[in-house]
Amino acid sequence: MDGRWNTFGRRLVATLGLLAGVLTGAAAFVAAGSAVATRGVDSASVFVDATHVPPLLTAEGERAELQYDAYCVDPEAEPADVSCDLTGSVFIRAGASGSFRELPLVTEGSANRLVARVPEAMASSREGFTYYAEIAATSGQASMSLPAGGASAPHQSLPLGPTIEIDLGRHAFGKTQRADERIAEVSWGEGLNDAGLEQGRNLTPIGASAFDVDPSGVVVLLDQAHRRMLRWRRGSSTPTRVPLEIAGMLADVSLATDGSLYVLESVSRREHTPVVRRFDSYGRGLASAVTAERTSSQIRQGPTGPVVLQQPSGQWMPIMSAGSPLTPDIQRRRGRSGRPVRGGGEIVVLRRDSEIRVAVVGHAGVRRSWQITSETALAEVQLAEPLGQRLVVVARVYTDDVDEFVALVLGAAGLISRISLDAADWAETAPLGRFRLAGGSLYQLGSTPAGAFVDRFGLEVR
Amino acid sequence: MGSLRTFLACFVTAFFLSSAGTAAAYHTRFVADNCNYAAPTPTPYITRDGSATVALRARYEGYQWAGGCWNDNNVDDSPGDTTENPNTGGEGGDCSGFTFKVWRESETESNAGFYQWGMLRHIHGPYVAAEFKSGDGAPNITYAKSALIKMDALASQNHIGMIYAKNADGTDQIIEAKGEAYGTNIWTRTYRGDSSYGGVRRTGWSG
Repeated sequence: MDGRWNTFGRRLVATLGLLAGVLTGAAAFVAAGSAVATRGVDSASVFVDATHVPPLLTAEGERAELQYDAYCVDPEAEPADVSCDLTGSVFIRAGASGSFRELPLVTEGSANRLVARVPEAMASSREGFTYYAEIAATSGQASMSLPAGGASAPHQSLPLGPTIEIDLGRHAFGKTQRADERIAEVSWGEGLNDAGLEQGRNLTPIGASAFDVDPSGVVVLLDQAHRRMLRWRRGSSTPTRVPLEIAGMLADVSLATDGSLYVLESVSRREHTPVVRRFDSYGRGLASAVTAERTSSQIRQGPTGPVVLQQPSGQWMPIMSAGSPLTPDIQRRRGRSGRPVRGGGEIVVLRRDSEIRVAVVGHAGVRRSWQITSETALAEVQLAEPLGQRLVVVARVYTDDVDEFVALVLGAAGLISRISLDAADWAETAPLGRFRLAGGSLYQLGSTPAGAFVDRFGLEVR
Repeated sequence: MGSLRTFLACFVTAFFLSSAGTAAAYHTRFVADNCNYAAPTPTPYITRDGSATVALRARYEGYQWAGGCWNDNNVDDSPGDTTENPNTGGEGGDCSGFTFKVWRESETESNAGFYQWGMLRHIHGPYVAAEFKSGDGAPNITYAKSALIKMDALASQNHIGMIYAKNADGTDQIIEAKGEAYGTNIWTRTYRGDSSYGGVRRTGWSG
């Protein structure tokens, strides 16, 4: 009897234990599921987003019209394509000081296209004009300033002034320049000195997303898939590998004069804008800063530290000063339409259809400008950098089937030299991470299905 | 004492066995728990601004290869799914599924009509990126890249993104479902000049 009871008792205890465990485990599963479900119903709020291409450089007699494509998105709206109503104004003034005058934005063609016509007196001002827009949901639930710094950092439109006109004509594809030197080369793969492809070969190949060159000729290549930089000293065929704590996705890089490396990550989440990370030459993290806006495409060194091109403002904003992060608010209030360059002044670029306008700008306005036209379509301007008294511009020319880059050396009398470069863009990189200018040479980051490389092209004017 | 040990041993074993699926299930239950197969609503029109608004609501949501179902909470509810696996059941469209829904296309390739699919409707549509690039299907045509405007698309053999806006430097702001690690968002891209990309237009826009 005792033996049977003992057996029965042990089975009972075991059954109870199993039952309690199953119930508790199931409860944990449900609780975890509820947590996910709770995240799933975390509601978004009404927001406004607007885009605008500022007339940064205007030709004489050109009508200046400010157009905004604006969207007010209400997550509760049904159907989903219904935008909430918008209202807005542009605040504008001649030159860069004084009080702003309010111009109401009016809809044109659709409820999402908001337009203001610049008064003739301002449009023809020798100092140009500065302006910003305030756009809001009529319900008052959301609003935005464009650019984000508002009155503190308005867009600036400058007259081109006496400009140097350059007609590129029809581009002759297939006559590309051979590189003077291949500075760096890696294969795609998982080997010690290979560069990685983020998503493998079956999806869009993305790898070795950016590079930079210092004045002594040291090349750094971001191997983001392996979370490291590869560094080649001049004349070395084997890179040094420097691990970096980065996200491992598309990013741009910029080398500072003190040897530190700035990495601009491209990924953003709600309330988490892209991040800039600063590393020393050993890969030790020194600082990080969040950018002010949702989208960032380039990081470069300005006279007082790194600057980042941010959207939707379309402005260059300082991101760190003396190696320390600047708050998003300070970034917004210091935004500039032109990119400040180390030698002083700013470079302003505007591509309109098959025309590129580019100017070197100082405190007194445009110092020198060029108006470049092309019969072949022009895509992005990859680079616009001073080279002494000259300016080097690299832009992409394209048809529906083929593309190449053209590198132009521009001077006071016009086009000094021009070379065509193979696009060499098998793998996706940071959008404007393919070219750098250092020590009178142009460097190109290229790739093929075999690997990535950095080529050098001499630009010395003979 | 022996009974307590037996109880605890059984409890612990049962607990771990019954809750073991929790972590693994997290990444695979978004579609099962949230998505539906409701019929689309036919609509008489499509506008570029309306499509941009639809696309903006998908911003910050996830990416799922071969997927097409997302909510509107600005969070990827299934981060870190295995890439190149269409069966992980995570949140988000892939690039072509996202485009298909934003362009209000039909499941039937010969039908160029407009169909509003709910965000939580689980559907990818009949086209992969390469087919969009070729202009496959009644609603889609290839188009000169230099003439593309807002909510037209640029497609390669394995990716497609829609033009949200132009930038002053000649780049475009592209709204796209980029990849598992990226999710769905707006980025600056140079697809327009890249010869691996072609121009694609959905036909029939009202404005």
